[in-house]
Amino acid sequence: MTPQSFKKTGLALLVLTALALPLILRSPTYLHILIMLYLYAYMTTTWNLVGGFAGVLPLGHSVFVGIGAYTSTVLWLQWGISPWIGMLVGGCLAGFVAYLIGKPTLKMRGAYFALATMAFVEGVRVIVENVDQLGPFKLNGPRGLNIPPLPAGEGSLLAFQFATKEPYYYIILFMLMGVVYLTWRLSRSKLGYSLSAGGEEPEAAEALGVNVAKCKVTAMVLSAFLTALAGTFLAQMTLFIYPKSVLTLDLSFELAFIALIGGRGSLAGPIIGALMLRPVTEFSRIYLSATLPGMHLILLGVILIVVMLYQPRGLSEPLTRLFNRLQDRICSTKTGGAK
Amino acid sequence: MDLIFLLQDVINGILMGSIYGLVALGLTLVFGVLKIINFAHGSFLMVGMYVAYWIVAYTGLHPYLALFLVAPIMYFFGYQMQQWLIRPIFVAERDVREPITVIIVTTGVWYVLDNLALLLFGPDYRALSPNPLKGEMIEIGEILISTPKLFGFIITVLTAAGLYWFLLKTRMGRAIRATSLDRDAASLMGISQWKIFNVAFGIGTAIAGIAAVVLVPVYNVYPTVGVPFDVKSFVIVVLGGLGSIPGALLGGVIIGLIESIGPNFMTSTWTEAIVYGLFLLVLFFKPSGLFGQKYDW
Repeated sequence: MTPQSFKKTGLALLVLTALALPLILRSPTYLHILIMLYLYAYMTTTWNLVGGFAGVLPLGHSVFVGIGAYTSTVLWLQWGISPWIGMLVGGCLAGFVAYLIGKPTLKMRGAYFALATMAFVEGVRVIVENVDQLGPFKLNGPRGLNIPPLPAGEGSLLAFQFATKEPYYYIILFMLMGVVYLTWRLSRSKLGYSLSAGGEEPEAAEALGVNVAKCKVTAMVLSAFLTALAGTFLAQMTLFIYPKSVLTLDLSFELAFIALIGGRGSLAGPIIGALMLRPVTEFSRIYLSATLPGMHLILLGVILIVVMLYQPRGLSEPLTRLFNRLQDRICSTKTGGAK
Repeated sequence: MDLIFLLQDVINGILMGSIYGLVALGLTLVFGVLKIINFAHGSFLMVGMYVAYWIVAYTGLHPYLALFLVAPIMYFFGYQMQQWLIRPIFVAERDVREPITVIIVTTGVWYVLDNLALLLFGPDYRALSPNPLKGEMIEIGEILISTPKLFGFIITVLTAAGLYWFLLKTRMGRAIRATSLDRDAASLMGISQWKIFNVAFGIGTAIAGIAAVVLVPVYNVYPTVGVPFDVKSFVIVVLGGLGSIPGALLGGVIIGLIESIGPNFMTSTWTEAIVYGLFLLVLFFKPSGLFGQKYDW
């Protein structure tokens, strides 16, 4: 068995398991936890396009989640336009906003960019909370928007609403696989190399003729577009959005945390991070919050500090090493036998 | 609208703004020397407020006398925080001038401290007692001035002046300035970079402690009290120029004025949006802020 085929088999097994899980796992609660896990893995992967490859720290990605969620919901509620179309419109809008905010801020040093994106989220949240009607669009201020559910037991692909959890599971799974594939292709493209070069050594990259700022803006626009798609998904999952649910610093921070604990700039990092953190937050929120309020956030903070101090590149690095060792052992015994 | 009310709002804005400036002063000092943004600064303020609150509650000391206990405790706290949490990052990422990892670690510290306070003290809003300054007002003609806020203004001015004197005239102050200008060159001159970092971080935290003492008589204490001040401090330091002391004070006063005058013309929540809008405008058009050095952004 060659290393390539070992990797391919592993990946195929992983995908097959993910596809088959709803057949084994019948409980909607667990399916819901898995759906949220994939959703966070998806959003973190798109965050990673800027935060990982471009070497900056965006702390405002919830703006794009919010734009996605609000755009598709407003279009559906006011004009009956299918959320699938709204999803794309929201993505384009988010990309446009990302261009406006990214063009001037991505030229700045790390800390400034982090602060600018943070202030942007807070500013947008304050505005949305204070506006009931933005031009022709009804935003409902702090009360948010309710998507009226279809009659019980009914589902409709066009309305992006389903009676069971399974369709949501497969939609987000395919979205996640799609975005991971895209990131993988991107990391091997000219843009990907330019980005990581610009992230590591901006001066050297500029000297070699890479337009670092332009590459970063491109990555930011792409990332915003993809993040907004998750916003629409979230809106259709929960059928209720309000500024404090989709436009918060907490969500922005959580994405950054997952990426950094998993490993920023690595393909598996966001997934590893989501796998590690989501269950910790979900279960400690369920079991500890009654007796020990805030315990899950203390745990989160401690994990974050410990990982940053001992594995600044995230958990994907030691795990990759482990995987490589396993691969070497299995592959070398096989090839050894053939010699 | 009566001019006298406007004048009262202006005075209130300047007084409250100077307290914001005091909080931001600690943040800007740490940035000036270490070139890092301490995201846990608001949580340090929260810790300082709880320390001041408990000291006053147990000993019945006058809140301003508690200052002489709170500031050294916070200095020690900040010193150790830098020594054990932030220094290892600098050691690990020696070649990076402003490691982003620090933002993440201090955010972790923020989460831990805020929720630890929630765990230990519960979510209650606590008002200082005994509070000899409660509701105290000074009347000048028709204008009412809150006494604790006036004292806050005076303490802010004294703290800023003291910090200036310390940085300009003492040996340690000179060493801190040298390190902030060029840490490698300073090291070559025999200045211990790590000691300076610890001391600067300690002083920054002690200033948060002073701000905490100033705030405790006028503000409730609760676990997340630091968050609005944290975000506000970021806005202030960027407005004034990261690392600049007069910038922090002036930035604070600008924010204070917007918050106190704004509600005369619009709903008070909109003033918050104006603050962020102003912040973004400064970032776009003059990222170095009012007093910042161009090099630092």
